[in-house]
Amino acid sequence: MDFVVFILASAMVIAGALGVVLRPNPVHAALSLVLTLFGVAVHFVALGAHFLAAVQVIVYAGAIVVLFLFVIMLLGVDKAEDLSIEPFPIQRPLAAVVGAGVSGLLVAAIVGAKDTIPEGTPLGADGDQNIRALARNLFSDHVFAFEFTSVLLIVAVAGTVLLTRKEKKGSA
Amino acid sequence: MNLMVASLLAVDPLLDTDKWWWKVLAIVAAKVLAIFVIGLIGTMLMVWFERKIVSGMQNRIGPNKAGPFGILQTLADGMKLFFKEDLLPDKADKWVFRVAPFLAFVPAFLLWSVIPLGGDFTDGKDGTVTWFGETTRVQLIDPPVGILIVLALSSIGVYGIMLAGWASGSKYPLLGSVRATAQMISYEAALGLSLGAVLLMSGTLSTSGIVGGQDGIGNWNIVATGFIPFVIFMIAMTAELSRPPFDLVEAEQELVGGFNTEYSSIRFGLFFLAEFMNVITMSAIIVTLFLGGPQPLTLGGVDMLGFAGPFGGTLWVILKTLAFLYTYVWFRATLPRLRYDQLMDFGWKLLIPAALGWFLVLAALQMTRDKYDGLGPVLLAAALGVAVLFVAYLLFNAALVVSKRNREREGVAY
Amino acid sequence: MGQYLPLVVLMILATAFGGLSFAASRLLAPRRPSAAKQAPYECGIVPSRQPPDRFPVSFYIVAMLFIMFDIEIIFIYPYAVERATVGEFGFWAVVVFSVIFFLTFVYEVARGGLEWGPLHGYRSLEQDAAMVSAARDSSSTIRRVGLEGRVDRVTAGGANTEEAA
Repeated sequence: MDFVVFILASAMVIAGALGVVLRPNPVHAALSLVLTLFGVAVHFVALGAHFLAAVQVIVYAGAIVVLFLFVIMLLGVDKAEDLSIEPFPIQRPLAAVVGAGVSGLLVAAIVGAKDTIPEGTPLGADGDQNIRALARNLFSDHVFAFEFTSVLLIVAVAGTVLLTRKEKKGSA
Repeated sequence: MNLMVASLLAVDPLLDTDKWWWKVLAIVAAKVLAIFVIGLIGTMLMVWFERKIVSGMQNRIGPNKAGPFGILQTLADGMKLFFKEDLLPDKADKWVFRVAPFLAFVPAFLLWSVIPLGGDFTDGKDGTVTWFGETTRVQLIDPPVGILIVLALSSIGVYGIMLAGWASGSKYPLLGSVRATAQMISYEAALGLSLGAVLLMSGTLSTSGIVGGQDGIGNWNIVATGFIPFVIFMIAMTAELSRPPFDLVEAEQELVGGFNTEYSSIRFGLFFLAEFMNVITMSAIIVTLFLGGPQPLTLGGVDMLGFAGPFGGTLWVILKTLAFLYTYVWFRATLPRLRYDQLMDFGWKLLIPAALGWFLVLAALQMTRDKYDGLGPVLLAAALGVAVLFVAYLLFNAALVVSKRNREREGVAY
Repeated sequence: MGQYLPLVVLMILATAFGGLSFAASRLLAPRRPSAAKQAPYECGIVPSRQPPDRFPVSFYIVAMLFIMFDIEIIFIYPYAVERATVGEFGFWAVVVFSVIFFLTFVYEVARGGLEWGPLHGYRSLEQDAAMVSAARDSSSTIRRVGLEGRVDRVTAGGANTEEAA
């Protein structure tokens, strides 16, 4: 049962990821991203992380991809673009390097973490403990990281305001 | 509210087993089928109910030909849609155009699954029922993150509308869907923040746990959270559903039919079905969150619908939900539509800050109540909270004044 | 995991219902597509322009703000559920977070991030009326159209009815 779910969810993740890369239409690519995020949410549920699964769908699928779609619509790039024009010549080699680096890190993490998960982690028994454990950690040991998130949000908003602001000529 | 009971509640005993024999499967199948049929028939009746009430409010007769009191009118309309030509516009993105109705319609159905539709939650009972020797809930699933599933599904529902408009390759649907998306995500923020107040009271995310905590009308969250979150939730829900007065999504005078202008035949039918089904499910969710769901209204300690026996809970859910459905129809018949900037201002500059502020004041009160005995500290916390809110209000108002002055100086900035 | 089984079953059932509806409609409905039917809906006018492919940037700001609020919401839920355990410390953590968050929001509002459409000025009707000569009234300012050749009859008829009344 668990194995079937794992296979199905992984198929969703991989199909979505391939779609993001291979689809020429940006809106289709964004939708493929939603499929990937869903697959990850299913994985979370299978691991007993119910709260994280819900957050995955609400924040990533519900907010972040909507932002992507808005940007795609805002900029009017929903027509298939001409891929032969290279606006930023270094980006392809750079993408290859970064991609290889991320893959290396992931492989290293997977190989390294193989034995570190304690057996019988009491997650599946009562998923309600998820959010409680999260709260206890967030509001005690990791409170600094929590507060720092709000600072990150300031940066995000300041960036949005400055980027989108259209100053009129003559005014400061 | 006993937190321990709440955390134990968050599971359906029927499914919490490794033995998957036919009986459990049969009950699951029966429940799924029941929800499915109730969903379809309920939606059919809702459309009729709305048309009948609105026509009554407008001095008309309304549907009266198909069946007694025209009750089968929706069925007839639905049947008709099957026989209508299904157009696929030339400029449409074929694939997304076909998928979009499903993205609107399937989440609408799935919303039914987390609503407690019955059971006895009085006096700390956990609301389970025993059918054919199996203990279960009158609710399809009761996952530990119950109410977050509602938020997740409504954020999927946004995709249905957004993509329907985009995929049509036509002017009015696109305008309608971009408006709709901005509206829905704006009010989802207000929805989520006012939901926080409920969670503060119930201490669990499970819908049955939330219902279980509302034993007696004094504990109903509408009273316990101080009414404001209820009002915000109700308004935000109306906007989320794109119901009048927030139906800018399909403002006929400006946008023809809104996001579904290019849809015809049964594809349109599915959007229509989803829209009205959402009205029912969302009303039931308000009932679950704020009015105690299947919890009875008692008169002198006696359940006013006690004669219904084990069906009392279900009857209460239906009655309370009907009250909301009537209110929604009443809104539609009464209130004129908002202008788009009014809609956004109302959501972002009133509902959202109010919901956040109220949550914090409520949290302060609860924290004081947990920590200190007596009324004095609670009153002090309330006074401090109101003072802080007032300062925040002044600050926010100053921001609005600055923004307005800048706009007047620069002309239109955006 | 098994807790979600009914949800999956319902999802399959709902999807199947949708699919069957399409199939039924395909069998029952006529299929006579024509260029006019498949053109984008334009109220009967021949479409002259592509649909707009750029939107005001305010929509982008709304989506960005929504992400912020989503994050805030996701962080206050654990506190709300577990407030009894995390106690006063947790409360102050949430308050500090929310205050910083609120100030950010105030900044965004002050910079005009949530302003929609043109400024709405309201004209004073009295002032407007004062600028119009008193000699002008509705009979002198409203131009009647479509009355060529029958103006006399209409006005005469109108006059007659008024006299009769």
